[in-house]
Amino acid sequence: MIGSPAQTRLLVLIFFAAVVPAGIVTLCLYYLIFNMMAWQIGIPEAVAYNLIPVARKVNLIIAVALPISLVIIWLLALELSHKLLGPIVRLEKDLDERISSKKSGPIKLREKDVLRPIVDKINQLLYKAGP
Amino acid sequence: MLSIVAVCAIFSYTLVFAKRLPKQFSFKEEKALSEWEEKIFKGRVLYVVEDGKLGRYLSAYSKESASGIFYKIKFDPKKEPMVSWKWKVVKFPEKKSMRSESDWIEKDDYAARFYVIFPRLAFNLTKSLEYVWDEDIPEGTVMTSPYFKNIKIIVIESGKKNLGKWVSEERNVYEDYKLAFGRNPGEAGAIAIMTDTDNSLSTAEAHYDEVKVGYKDGE
Repeated sequence: MIGSPAQTRLLVLIFFAAVVPAGIVTLCLYYLIFNMMAWQIGIPEAVAYNLIPVARKVNLIIAVALPISLVIIWLLALELSHKLLGPIVRLEKDLDERISSKKSGPIKLREKDVLRPIVDKINQLLYKAGP
Repeated sequence: MLSIVAVCAIFSYTLVFAKRLPKQFSFKEEKALSEWEEKIFKGRVLYVVEDGKLGRYLSAYSKESASGIFYKIKFDPKKEPMVSWKWKVVKFPEKKSMRSESDWIEKDDYAARFYVIFPRLAFNLTKSLEYVWDEDIPEGTVMTSPYFKNIKIIVIESGKKNLGKWVSEERNVYEDYKLAFGRNPGEAGAIAIMTDTDNSLSTAEAHYDEVKVGYKDGE
């Protein structure tokens, strides 16, 4: 599930960051390999007889595998966006609860949370600001 | 600085390794074939430099086989459109009578072929012109190869009237490409020679000589 506009942006960013370079590399390799093989075979009839059917089979496999790959990359990007944005969402929720006085005291995070250094500073600010 | 060095390196490479036009192949030395690459399709055709009354020439003998010799050379058909060569058919392949349209591929054997290949960035867009000497198909016929739509065959010699005789050919690649494909050609990237009998399962023999590539009309 996509929770916020920020996550949507992050999800799209991760998705395209994975798909665009992969697409460029795949396309380059596809043409590099087939072009080198075509030059190696040389005789046009031999290229047509041997290489074109292989290219058609590869194209068919790509046509089937591409949508599946895109769905998998999308799901992985979604998972990654949750992992990256989850602590920020929790921090925002904690701050909102303290602003509305529903909670008090320092914000608690897991020991290995990536936001721990920032949250420690926020806690120092909260301590200085007093109850 | 690095880009200047790179540009200088590419320029030097071009000066040293660029093939000067027109390129001529006379097959007068036994080593003449060493600058050509052998390309095998089905079985191996025997290509050798032989001695004749008028000097050396390239001989091709095919027995149920198809392989060619291939030479990479860039030339711009707009600037240097002409190619020429001499050829002689000693024996035509024995093609069976065509029974149906699907049998056409069985007739795709020619005593002598001369290719001009136009490579593209994508291999499947590469186009080829093939000049052939056939026993039956009328001179001037332009056909699409049964193997691929981007291969056009132009029959420039037909029949047995010149069997066993040297015949000189000179073609304007630019005009022939426009005739065959209906558009202007890009840069040519290779030429090839082939005598084949893999489809008819017979034998054929042809001789080639005085190949000249990439020059202006009248040069």
